[in-house]
Amino acid sequence: MKRCALMFPILALAGFILLVGCAQMKAIPNLPVWHPEEVTSGPVSCSECHEDQQKGTMKPFATFNHTPSFVKNHRFYAASDDRLCASCHKASFCADCHTNRVEMKPSTKYGNRPDREMPHRGDFLTLHKIEGKLDPGSCYRCHGRTNNARCIVCHR
Amino acid sequence: MKKVVTRLLALSVLALPAAALADTTVNSTTIFRSFQDNRTGFEKRQYAPITQFLGVDIDKLGDGNLSLHLYGWGRMDLADKSYNEDRVDGALTYGYAQYHFKEANAQASLGRLYVNEGIVSEQVDGLSVRTDLPYGFGISAFGGATVKTDNLPGEETDGKGGGSFGGRLNYRYGGKLELGLSGVYESSAPGINNLQLVREGKFGSHRLVGGDIWFAPHSKVDLMGHTSYNTETRRVAEHSYLVNVRPVQDLVLSGEFNEQNERDLFFSSIFFAGLVERLSDKSRSFGTRASYQLNKVTELTGDYKHYRRDLGQADRFGGDLRLSLLDKALRTGVGYHYLRSSPDFAVVPTSNASGSFHEARGFAMYNAKQYFTALDAIGYFFKEDINGRPRAVELIGSLGYHLTPSLSLSGDLSYGSNPRFVDEVQGLIRLTYNKTFTGKGGTK
Repeated sequence: MKRCALMFPILALAGFILLVGCAQMKAIPNLPVWHPEEVTSGPVSCSECHEDQQKGTMKPFATFNHTPSFVKNHRFYAASDDRLCASCHKASFCADCHTNRVEMKPSTKYGNRPDREMPHRGDFLTLHKIEGKLDPGSCYRCHGRTNNARCIVCHR
Repeated sequence: MKKVVTRLLALSVLALPAAALADTTVNSTTIFRSFQDNRTGFEKRQYAPITQFLGVDIDKLGDGNLSLHLYGWGRMDLADKSYNEDRVDGALTYGYAQYHFKEANAQASLGRLYVNEGIVSEQVDGLSVRTDLPYGFGISAFGGATVKTDNLPGEETDGKGGGSFGGRLNYRYGGKLELGLSGVYESSAPGINNLQLVREGKFGSHRLVGGDIWFAPHSKVDLMGHTSYNTETRRVAEHSYLVNVRPVQDLVLSGEFNEQNERDLFFSSIFFAGLVERLSDKSRSFGTRASYQLNKVTELTGDYKHYRRDLGQADRFGGDLRLSLLDKALRTGVGYHYLRSSPDFAVVPTSNASGSFHEARGFAMYNAKQYFTALDAIGYFFKEDINGRPRAVELIGSLGYHLTPSLSLSGDLSYGSNPRFVDEVQGLIRLTYNKTFTGKGGTK
């Protein structure tokens, strides 16, 4: 009951904002569904082509330059800007690693693409006995509630 | 599993008429592998699985704003069973219809889909909607049946409730600030056989709320991250934050901080809840990374990370060098890292054990007009032997040929030597078909 009481004002606020907002929706521009020019292969820097002229609430393009730090920490960007990711990447690009049931290691599927950042390269079956104790939270992100069929073969 | 494969094939066939009328991208990868397991003490096995990955994206349907997206895989074992009880296996990773509205980045998706919004990272068979709102606000919501995965050992469930809903409300200000409030509410966790987990307060329903932030006080600085709170255990589950500083154009300095209360983060996973020893167990890590694009050819990265758990402490540091030559046709890289850990992280933690190891990697790949080739070597060199072996090394060679601009055939051969196998040789043949039938844009 307490939870319901808490949810009501949140939902009411969301509904109110939605109603007020609907009246002015047409003034808000869309991102293009798909990047209008073909993107070069390999990591890209958005700021190579895009000048950081502030438009509305868009974040600066330099924020999304695909630096090694960006690639390692892409989860932070995808959590709030996956709509922007989708203008260059098909969902299948994410599904190469992020999946509900993995069939083979991404680095095996893409043995011809050693340049791509992929988890569990090499003999990770041995390594995970160390890495899993070191940082179980990083394992949990992908294998906590899904994609753990391979884990439970041994972890019984 | 046969059902999944059948559905996947049926969906693909059903999508064909629509695909003929719209912008369509097909990504197909067929992989045939061959490997042997002849470890001492185990029955000798020969594996030869063939796996088909298939992704189809059909855009500009109906009034031009509707699209269909499908991705999944199916596998058949041509020799011994490669993995589970079935010789045929498969999964539908996602399959949904999406409608893009003409304003405000509004979109609605229906089907099997992933939701990544703030602290929410879920997969449902259901509906997801989102839109930007005036004055910098935005809102998203989702709901549906949870996507079931394999039952956990000793259980008749994967530990998930039957359905879930949630969403995110966000506010953006002038390209400098974004604040988000998000949450997920899953229906009550199913009853499980491992009552001890429930009695000890380690397992329960999946219900989280949290906040996220992105803040750029200056054009060269941005901070981002999130904090999640488990409403069932009434404690913070996780803090995770990252700060980037770009003092000059091609130099990025990053710092990260992560803290996880393990019981509260793992609470809705039977698998991980069982790994929690004490309810107060905590993991913490912080690190820094510097990456510098020296010129169009050379990129240098150095990184350091410190891990602290109740169990022990560890440090990892190292660096990578990447070169991109011949207009990106030739790419190569080398890297070295060292993990220095306390004995508690060793595979078998005894007083004189060690979980420390060196990691070295080098790769090169060349993509010519007609053919492509790659070589990748990775080695882990243990401070103390594991299973009597001092290292785990793997070498993969790949060679491929573009039969047409869209169709390529490639083969990989890998050799490994590690604590599990004296020699591990695996072969793989890969047929890849990537084709966008109309339209422009990236195809990555």
